[in-house]
Amino acid sequence: MSRVTDSSGKWIGWAFFADLGNALALTFSYMFSKSVTMQYPDKEKWLPYSRYRGHHFLKRDEEGEIKCVACELCARICPCYCIEVVPYEDEKGNRRPAKFEIDMARCLFCGLCEDACPADAIALGQQYEFSSFSSHDLVVGRDDLLAKPGKANAGGAVVSACLNTQENVLVKTSKQQGYNWWRNIRRT
Amino acid sequence: MELVVALGLIVFKVALLIAILLLLPLPLTWLERKIGGHIQQRMGPMRVGWHGLLQPVADGIKLLTKEDHIPAEADRFLFKLAPILALAPPFVVFVAIPFGESVSVLGTEITLYASNMNVALLFVFAVIGIEVYGVIFGGWAANSKYAVLGSLRTCAQMISYEIPMGFAVIGVVMLAQSMSLLDIVRAQADVWNIVYQPIGFFVFFVAGLAKAQRIPFDLAEAEGDLGAGFHTEYSGIRFAFFMVSEYAIMLLVSVLSVVLFFGGWNGILIPLPPFLWFLLKVAFFVYLFMWFRFTFPRYRYDQLMTIGWKVLLPLSLANIIVTGVALL
Ligand code: SF4
Ligand code: SF4
Repeated sequence: MSRVTDSSGKWIGWAFFADLGNALALTFSYMFSKSVTMQYPDKEKWLPYSRYRGHHFLKRDEEGEIKCVACELCARICPCYCIEVVPYEDEKGNRRPAKFEIDMARCLFCGLCEDACPADAIALGQQYEFSSFSSHDLVVGRDDLLAKPGKANAGGAVVSACLNTQENVLVKTSKQQGYNWWRNIRRT
Repeated sequence: MELVVALGLIVFKVALLIAILLLLPLPLTWLERKIGGHIQQRMGPMRVGWHGLLQPVADGIKLLTKEDHIPAEADRFLFKLAPILALAPPFVVFVAIPFGESVSVLGTEITLYASNMNVALLFVFAVIGIEVYGVIFGGWAANSKYAVLGSLRTCAQMISYEIPMGFAVIGVVMLAQSMSLLDIVRAQADVWNIVYQPIGFFVFFVAGLAKAQRIPFDLAEAEGDLGAGFHTEYSGIRFAFFMVSEYAIMLLVSVLSVVLFFGGWNGILIPLPPFLWFLLKVAFFVYLFMWFRFTFPRYRYDQLMTIGWKVLLPLSLANIIVTGVALL
């Protein structure tokens, strides 16, 4: 409002529709600015930042053992009670999870489990494409969690992608270096 | 023999006109969605064909194969009549529109108009007035709240812009001393009417926006407050009829603006073929329509009446008087 009255408050501006003219000039300049559309999923895809909280994954230590000590702190702190941990003692006498299940359908991706974990065993990773037709498929077990991709080391970019409906992975990406989507946003 | 050739030529011209008018909405919808998209920093249709070029075809197939739904409470006769009533007049009007002088093909002179009526302007305004009945009947027959509100708005809106629109072109008629569109264009060979009639053009164009029911005056279909206005209950091919009619009228107002005020096929500065000049000017006005659509908000219903009666009508009357005094 203020911008319009500034330039067209005088009667001459009023008589010649300065406000409408300003509006037309603005939309015309927008017409030749870069579009912000991300053509997901068949052309482009967003790689999230490394701080992104996506699908969980479980880490292994240097010897390839699962890091989790089945302390159940994550299950305790989880506001949705969607983690279920059942401990057992392995041959070396360490406490390990026999069962570690996360119900992704209930998870709200708060990341509290990651914060609570004393063994730095669980974290929320980069993956965000795991929609499913059945909520049973969203209960993810220990071995699947171990196989999930970890944190992104570079992110915040749009990369080219292609839609693949044959395999489980729906959107494949080729390269890791994309363009920064925010460059197209106009700041006036 | 002469008669047969002449008759065949007319039939050919009419068929060509109908074909063009029926097919033109396809590229125009694509263009409109693209322009709208880019103005809003989107891309518009991208998936069907190169940059979505085949999107209108896909939409057409969808509309053709959709269920043709008639509400149980509707007045079936009027409901079926309305789309035809909306579609036919814009097509009929184009018979009277000249697109250029004449071209010679294989030694025969072929005029670029279907007929040269001496009262073409009157014919255009009379016939295009009928189109409103399609909109009114469509909204009434559907027997639904939104549709009736849309058609009621059209009733009120129609009078407030048809009168200024009719008055706005009188100045042009006075300048050309003729109501034939061909003579009007010929009279502008040196100076376009826009130079003498800027007010007339302004009134004509604003009224034309209302006539074509485009933003900022698309009160009859006002998606925001009336669902889809008068064609809320229409689906499938009948809906497509209304759409084609809307685009045909948009085209008609553009063509009339060019013919009446912007010198028709008379070019300036750059010597281009006359028909190309004509097309370029019409394309500019069509773009203007789309540009307006994605820039302006919709005027309120009472505001449109105020504009029609308190601004456009006095302006057009003053224009007639000033033109008359200047001609004396
Ligand atoms: S992210 Fe939050 S809701 Fe999800 S499993 Fe971890 S603690 Fe529970
Ligand atoms: S993931 Fe961490 S917090 Fe959860 S049970 Fe294992 S060690 Fe404990």
